[in-house]
Amino acid sequence: MHAAMLNLSPLESDALVEIFNIGVGHAAAAMSEIVGEEVSMSVPSISFVNRAEAAGMLGLAGGGEERICGISQHYEGAFETEAILMFPEDKSLEIVRLMVGESVPLQELSEMEQEAMSEIGNIILNACVGTLANIFQRELHGSLPEYHLGTSGDILACSGGQADAIVLMLHIDFVLETHQIHGYVAFILDLSALHDLRDLIDRYLALALGPAGDPG
Amino acid sequence: MNDSTTVLVVDDSRVSRLMARQFILSKNAGMRIEEAANGEEALERAKSVTPALILMDVNMPGMGGLAAAELLRRQFPHAHISLLTANVQDATRKRAQDMGVAFMEKPITEARIHQLMSVLDL
Amino acid sequence: MSPDALNRMALLESVIAAVNLGAVVLDDRRRVVLWNRWMARHAGLDADAVRGRDLFEVFPELQNKRIESAVTQALRDNFPSLLSQTLNKAPFPLFHNAAARARDERMQQAVEVTPIDVAGEARHCLIQVSDVSIAVGREKLLREQALVLREQTYSDSLTGIANRRHFDVAMDKELRLAKRSGATLSLLMIDIDYFKSYNDHYGHQAGDTALTQVAAALRSLLQRPADLLARYGGEEFAAILPNTDPDQAVLMAEAIRARVTALRIPHVAAGGNVLHVTVSIGVASLRPGKGTDAVDDAARLIGAADRALYVAKRAGRDCVMVNPAQAN
Repeated sequence: MHAAMLNLSPLESDALVEIFNIGVGHAAAAMSEIVGEEVSMSVPSISFVNRAEAAGMLGLAGGGEERICGISQHYEGAFETEAILMFPEDKSLEIVRLMVGESVPLQELSEMEQEAMSEIGNIILNACVGTLANIFQRELHGSLPEYHLGTSGDILACSGGQADAIVLMLHIDFVLETHQIHGYVAFILDLSALHDLRDLIDRYLALALGPAGDPG
Repeated sequence: MNDSTTVLVVDDSRVSRLMARQFILSKNAGMRIEEAANGEEALERAKSVTPALILMDVNMPGMGGLAAAELLRRQFPHAHISLLTANVQDATRKRAQDMGVAFMEKPITEARIHQLMSVLDL
Repeated sequence: MSPDALNRMALLESVIAAVNLGAVVLDDRRRVVLWNRWMARHAGLDADAVRGRDLFEVFPELQNKRIESAVTQALRDNFPSLLSQTLNKAPFPLFHNAAARARDERMQQAVEVTPIDVAGEARHCLIQVSDVSIAVGREKLLREQALVLREQTYSDSLTGIANRRHFDVAMDKELRLAKRSGATLSLLMIDIDYFKSYNDHYGHQAGDTALTQVAAALRSLLQRPADLLARYGGEEFAAILPNTDPDQAVLMAEAIRARVTALRIPHVAAGGNVLHVTVSIGVASLRPGKGTDAVDDAARLIGAADRALYVAKRAGRDCVMVNPAQAN
C-alpha cells in the first residue's frame, strides 16, 4: 500500500461500500429497463491502491496481456476524479451481446457497439457518482463517456494526472440472466481529492448517525 | 402489543443498520431494535425476539435477503417484512408480490422509514 | 439589447436553425424552450406546437424510458448522458420523409442529453439528436460480410467442401456431443490410390479435376446433415459420421468405394490391373468415455482410422479396412 494512503476506519469504509452498492443497484435497474431482463449488480469490495497495483488487479482478471475495455468520465466539483469502468475485452463483448440480444460476429466491438458499451459506462458511472453526490448533498459536474481499448496500464494512464495518484478500485459483479461478469470501476484521485472524499464521508456519518457516527 | 415493539434490522452494512436505528427511534423512541448482519443471523435473532417489523437488505452474502425473508415470513406470519433494495425493477416488484412482502427503495431515508411506521401504526 | 448583441443573437439563431441535427432545450420543469428546424422537419411538429409543454407530455411513450432518467440526471445531478442507437432504437418518433413516416420507418438516432447553465435561471438541459441511419446500414453490411468471410475460411477453395480447419472444429464438437449423449462416432479416412502417378501422368490440372469429381461423388453419398466431409490433405478426404456404429460405417465406406470406382475416371498409370481412379478407406469408431479429453479422443480416432487406411493400402488398395479396436 502507498505511504500517503489514507486509511479509512471500518465505519468510513462501510459507508463508502454501501453508497456504491446503492449506486450500482440503481444502474442495474436502469439496464434492466433497457434489456427487458433481470439485471443485478453489486460491489463486494473496494480497495485503495496505486496505479501499478490497480493495473495488476485487472491483469490478474484477464491473464496479463489481455486487452481491457475502459469507459471513462471526468467529474469535478465537490471533488475531482477520473472514473473508469473496466472489463476485459471478451467480457465487454459478452455484455454488449447480452444487452443487445444479438451475436457479435466480429472479435471486436464495432463502432456502434462501442457506443453501446460507452452508454453502459455512462449509466454505471453516473449512478455511482450521482449517488455519492446525492447522499453527500454536493454538486458535481460530469463529462460524456470516452471509449478506450488497451492494456490495463494504458487505460489507467490515459487519464493523465499525477504519477502518484491513488486509485479507488471497486470490484463489480454484474449479473444478467445466468451470466455473471466481474469488472472494476476505478476512481483516480489525487491527495486533495482523497481528503475531500474523506471529509464528505465523515460529515455524512456525523449527520446520519448522530453520536454513533463518530468514525473513530 | 408489548410495551416495546421490536424491529429487526438486517443488513450487512453497519452504517445502514445504524441509520435505520436512528430513523426508527426518531419517530418512536420506545421501539426496541435488534440487528443482524446476514440471513443466518436474522433467523437466529428472530427466534428470541418475535419482531413486529423486519427490514431485510436484499444484497447480502451467504443466504441472501430473499431466502431469509421467505423463511421468516413462514415463521412469523404476523410480522411485516420490508425488503430493502436499490435495484427496483419489474422482477423485484413481482418477487416481492409473490412472496407477500413489501419493499423499500434504498437509500434508506428518514421520510421513508417514518412513512412505513405510520402505515403500520408503529 | 445593443445592436451587436442583437446581431449575435440573430447569428446564433441562424446557426441553430441550420445545424444538421436535432436540438431541443428543456427548462428545469422539462418544458420545451427551444425546438430547432431539424426537429420540426423530422418530428412533423412545429416549434409553436411544442414550446412551453412538458416534453414527456408531448411524447408520452418516452415516460419511464432511458431518456426520461437522462433528462432528470442532467437537470438534477448536472450529469450528461449518452443514448446509443444500439441500446435505444429510435426513441423519438422521427422520420426522414413522408414516405418513411407512412411506412412507420423511424430514423435511427443517437442522442446526447447535456446540462446547460442559463444565466439567472435554474439549470436547463440540451438534447441533441443525430441521424445515424447511414452508420447503422454500414454496420449491417459489415456484419453480413463478416458472416460470409467466416463461411469462406472453412471451405476448401478447390472442391468447395469443408477444409482441414473446419474438420478440426467439427471433430472437437462431435466428440463432445458424443460424450454427452453416449453415442458412437465413426471416422472414414479416404485416400485416392496412386494419386501422385495420376498427377505425373495427366498433369496437375487434370489432378485437380479428378479431385473435384471424387469430392462430388463423396458429397452425394454423405447426405445426413450432421455428417461432415472434409478435404483432409492433398489427396485425402475425411468423413465424420456422428451416431454411427462400426457396421454402419463400413457399409457407408463400401458404398463410397464403389461409387468412386463407378466414376470410371481413366488412370492408365495406376498400379496393378486397375485402369481407373479408386480409393482406399480406413474406418474407425469411438464411443468417448467420461474421463477422456476431446483432444486425446480426436488423436486416438484419427490414428486408428489412419492405421486402417494403411492396412487397406498394403492389402492392394481399392478396398475398405476397419480398425476393430474401440476405445472405452
